[in-house]
Amino acid sequence: MTKEEQKPGEGKEGKTRWTDCIYNPRTGEFIGRNASSWGLILLFYLVFYGFLAGFFCLTMWVMLLTLEDHVPKYNDRVPSPGLVIRPKSLDIVYNRSDPANYGQYIRHLDTFLQRYNDSEQASNELCLAGEFYDQDAEAQKKACQFRRSTLRICSGISDPNYGYSEGKPCILVKMNRIIGLKPQGEPYVNCTAKRDSPLSVQYFPAAARIDKMYFPYYGKKVHEKYVQPLVAVKLLLTKEDYNKEITVECRVEGSNLRNNDERDKFLGRVTFRVLVTQ
Amino acid sequence: MGYGRSDSYRVATTQENKDVKEKPKAKGADLEELKKEVPLTEHKMSIEEVCQKHNTDIVQGLTNAKAAEFLIRDGPNALTPPPTTPEWVKFCRQLFGGFSVLLWIGAILCFLAYAIQAATEDEPAGDNLYLGIVLSAVVIITGCFSYFQEAKSSKIMESFKNMVPQQALVIREGEKLQINAEEVVAGDLVEVKGGDRIPADLRVVSAHGCKVDNSSLTGESEPQNRSPECTNDNPLETRNIAFFSTNCVEGTARGIVISTGDRTTMGRIATLASGLDTGKTPIAKEIEHFIHIITGVAVFLGISFFILSIVLGYSWLEAVIFLIGIIVANVPEGLLATVTVCLTLTAKRMAKKNCLVKNLEAVETLGSTSTICSDKTGTLTQNRMTVAHMWFDNQIHEADTTEDQSGASFDKSSETWVALARVAALCNRASFKANQESLPILKRDVAGDASESALLKCIELSCGGVKAMREKNKKVAEIPFNSTNKYQLSVHETEDENDNRYLLVMKGAPERILDRSTTIMVQGKEQPMDEELKEAFQNAYLELGGLGERVLGFCHALLPEDQFPKGFAFDCDDVNFPTENLCFLGLMSMIDPPRAAVPDAVGKCRSAGIKVIMVTGDHPITAKAIAKGVGIISEGNETVEDIAARLNIPVSQVNPRDAKACVIHGSDLKDLSQDQMDDLLKNHTEIVFARTSPQQKLIIVEGCQRLGAIVAVTGDGVNDSPALKKADIGVAMGISGSDVSKQAADMILLDDNFASIVTGVEEGRLIFDNLKKSIAYTLTSNIPEITPFLFFIIVNIPLPLGTITILCIDLGTDMVPAISLAYEIAESDIMKRQPRNPARDKLVNERLISIAYGQIGMIQALGGFFAYFVIMAENGFLPSRLVGIRLYWDDRSNNDLEDSYGQQWTYEQRKIVEFTCHTAFFVSIVVVQWADVIVCKTRRNSVFQQGMRNKILIFGLFEETALAAFLSYCPGMDVALRMYPLKPSWWFCAFPYSFLIFVYDEIRKLILRRHPGGWVEKETYY
Repeated sequence: MTKEEQKPGEGKEGKTRWTDCIYNPRTGEFIGRNASSWGLILLFYLVFYGFLAGFFCLTMWVMLLTLEDHVPKYNDRVPSPGLVIRPKSLDIVYNRSDPANYGQYIRHLDTFLQRYNDSEQASNELCLAGEFYDQDAEAQKKACQFRRSTLRICSGISDPNYGYSEGKPCILVKMNRIIGLKPQGEPYVNCTAKRDSPLSVQYFPAAARIDKMYFPYYGKKVHEKYVQPLVAVKLLLTKEDYNKEITVECRVEGSNLRNNDERDKFLGRVTFRVLVTQ
Repeated sequence: MGYGRSDSYRVATTQENKDVKEKPKAKGADLEELKKEVPLTEHKMSIEEVCQKHNTDIVQGLTNAKAAEFLIRDGPNALTPPPTTPEWVKFCRQLFGGFSVLLWIGAILCFLAYAIQAATEDEPAGDNLYLGIVLSAVVIITGCFSYFQEAKSSKIMESFKNMVPQQALVIREGEKLQINAEEVVAGDLVEVKGGDRIPADLRVVSAHGCKVDNSSLTGESEPQNRSPECTNDNPLETRNIAFFSTNCVEGTARGIVISTGDRTTMGRIATLASGLDTGKTPIAKEIEHFIHIITGVAVFLGISFFILSIVLGYSWLEAVIFLIGIIVANVPEGLLATVTVCLTLTAKRMAKKNCLVKNLEAVETLGSTSTICSDKTGTLTQNRMTVAHMWFDNQIHEADTTEDQSGASFDKSSETWVALARVAALCNRASFKANQESLPILKRDVAGDASESALLKCIELSCGGVKAMREKNKKVAEIPFNSTNKYQLSVHETEDENDNRYLLVMKGAPERILDRSTTIMVQGKEQPMDEELKEAFQNAYLELGGLGERVLGFCHALLPEDQFPKGFAFDCDDVNFPTENLCFLGLMSMIDPPRAAVPDAVGKCRSAGIKVIMVTGDHPITAKAIAKGVGIISEGNETVEDIAARLNIPVSQVNPRDAKACVIHGSDLKDLSQDQMDDLLKNHTEIVFARTSPQQKLIIVEGCQRLGAIVAVTGDGVNDSPALKKADIGVAMGISGSDVSKQAADMILLDDNFASIVTGVEEGRLIFDNLKKSIAYTLTSNIPEITPFLFFIIVNIPLPLGTITILCIDLGTDMVPAISLAYEIAESDIMKRQPRNPARDKLVNERLISIAYGQIGMIQALGGFFAYFVIMAENGFLPSRLVGIRLYWDDRSNNDLEDSYGQQWTYEQRKIVEFTCHTAFFVSIVVVQWADVIVCKTRRNSVFQQGMRNKILIFGLFEETALAAFLSYCPGMDVALRMYPLKPSWWFCAFPYSFLIFVYDEIRKLILRRHPGGWVEKETYY
């Protein structure tokens, strides 16, 4: 008891109020410091942090100098490409008789395919199919053509609804860009439904081939015009398939590209669900 | 709070009424009852009545059956240890104390977040569940750790307690039995002899020269007689009661046990003392203060960022997850365990130096101590009467009083000395106990009273063969000492076969001996006692008395053969031989000399700014002499009385302010008001309290505490236990201390030596300094742990450091280096500075926070961020791309996130990069913490001055590095902790920052040393 009672000096300097902690009018102290004390400490921290910022910028600058412009220093964290689909949704759910319902998919595909317009692609190279298009020597790399029209009925040219209205939607499958990637073998996309009865699908370009001529990729700075090869998958749903959720898995097969990673479910494969209602 | 003025111990403790009343009623009632007069009536009863009351027989004792029955009824004859907190309460305190509450909140939030996720998502991420489990595990494990540490230190105490099992001699069914004292029951007939400890409260039924030492109960140091008759109504004063746990000094006695265990007088006092409330230890207050600061920062940051993230449009769930992250980052999870370990290490170190610490936190208390109230006997002195001076041949000779006989000796050739020594040896009932020939003389046990033992040892040391001398000079008659005669005499045959005279030897109070002498021996020749010699005697007597020594005079006479032929029957009751006209030989004076190490220790305390106050029950003169001898009253300092004597003026005319030293008598202390007391304590630097009663000790302690001092009290008796308890740190004596005092104390000096306290002070101060360093080190890494979250929320970059990695730092890599700082040696002579002011010198102050958080921590954070940006950039995400990417980055469905080079990343791929960044950030913190631990080694000196001799610290550096490497490279860590192998070059990212920390702090400390008291010191010296 006595221990706590005794706060030496308390009560002797006149009334102290709790507000003195914030501002003490007698000493002119604001939160325990007077103006010059605040000034000095703030100045110190200003100078100190200024110096630290400078030091940090210096080290960052040195680090950025060591980087190359076109190619990242390491790409061992992306040894194998991921597979993604367009429209960008893993749940494609729509009512085929309601255009407003699937409109978003259509618009998405339209925008996505803008870069593949034949008019745009005409300026790109016509490359030799089945061969890597090596151009290590050139400073400005050229891109191979991938015309939208090769997607045929999934190109949106002949059928602006990409088959959505007829209940046979087109899904575009693309492989992630990875600088310097040269897949071995003949990669192609294979989509299957996770159910007992097989689902019939139609691929464009034919055989779902991802042509080697689109590899390697040289990075966006030097390979500006580059477009990824696409594979359009038209799900030929029948009446029986409507109102049923179908899980579809597409894999890259026929090459050394990984498609069975335990943890990364998007490495060389993609799984999505389709539910079409009437 | 009123002060008890009664001489009775029981009243003194009633000042704690208020405290007591606040406690639950049942306990309060108990204590109230305890405070009443001792309800002893047995001393007024006749022996038969006592026997009847306790169903016992005065000859046969109890029957075994009855004894067993009583034992079951009353329980064992032992003091119940003070009510200990149940183990589960202690455990819970560890589980929910300190930072644990914050962490529990974090864990609960984790489970909550997981529950919400589980309810709303089909495939909830296990992260939150996992983190919640980890957090709970962390709290439980650190709680268990602290709990076991505490349990360990209390176990030391238990083992100590059981070291000396007590025995008692009881008579049951007419047979003498040696039994364990715990089995003694009320009604037992007990026999005690000199040297025994009284096993229970006894009603004495018969006694032979029995004296008991009640000092531990009443503070009276003189042994007191015990006999069967009732001499006083007050049971404490009457002669026919012997009290539990007091000592029988000499003689034998037989008594009936009237109460056992807690029902004994001593038991009641002990129970009462254990009811005293003690405040928190200084270090506990400091840690609490520090926890408040950290919790405050954590809660403030947590809440403000919670609100901010809601405002920024994050979902509730995300905001909660941020909150968890901020809490985890803010709380130094491992710190309390580190503090416990540091304190334990110091406690162990102190135990090696004979300071046994009962309460871990008391380790530091000694270091903060500003006043020591020291008992005299046994602590400052050897607790052994020793002959210090002799006066013979009209000259004072000094005897060697050192413990190891290293002091100077005196001329032993004089014949007077031979005669004096003979008298001292013969007129002496003390004798060495058997079978100790191998021991040095001073260590041998002696049966007999203190001054006779002193004489015996002195003669044995200087002449040797006391036993042989006594055999040669057979004792034929003896008159023992009594208080009316004030002398003791014996008649012996002489050594010389041909000399048939008898030798009469006498010793006693000098003035009485002088009165009986007509001649004096000088240089071996008998001379008539003239006035000149008488004056010389008076001067010598006064001088020795002034030294606080107990003076005895010696004389002898050879009885004429014609009057006292061989075979003369000396009658001691009706004295038939001359006891006057003897030949005076000299004086011998005795004192309980100070321990050799004490003056030095007192000097050290003084230079360490600690005021040493002597509090003793002894006489003022003796107390003052010892105080001067050990330096408690330093040379040249005078008391009011000294000044008066020097100036030859009355005491009342001396200005008390002129006297720095003072000796206060207990009876004067009684009349002092509280203000006078404060005044006294404030204005005198050197104080001796003499003739103090137990409750006055308490008043002195409270007076010191009122003045803001942190008080250490040393004591050994039961009567000291309230003061020991009240003190900030009570120090009991391991050898001479009573169990009750040991129970009340926080620390035990195993060798009873005051000098050990100084080591304790030194260790306490060192650990306080080192704890500061340890905390500064640990807190620094909080900034690189918090900032990633803040930037994650504000600038929307992928998270640079995860919660799991934060835990790896706090509970993994930071632990050993933080603990190693406890082994750091002192930077300067810590015993040369003033004790810390608990109001001002905090363990954690704003300067420490400023350095740790504002400066070093910021550099560390930059080091971590640099590593993060390096890895991100080298993998393709330049800093410009990172800002604002968070929403896409953490989107599971986004599997083609583009980097700065046009590559596209799946969620898992970029998460691996993110976790690699966490690992790199973690490793960077380890790297910058290398520099931090080296920097934290010193607070003022340069590392180059301090050196790198701390082997544990060097081990710590390697250990944390190895652990970091293990966490990064061990296969399976990617799954277990989501930590990934780093490329060797990434280890070096933080090196410039590590170097910067070292250089920055060395410069800071250089300026600090160059400009003492300057701005840098005011703002950054923690």
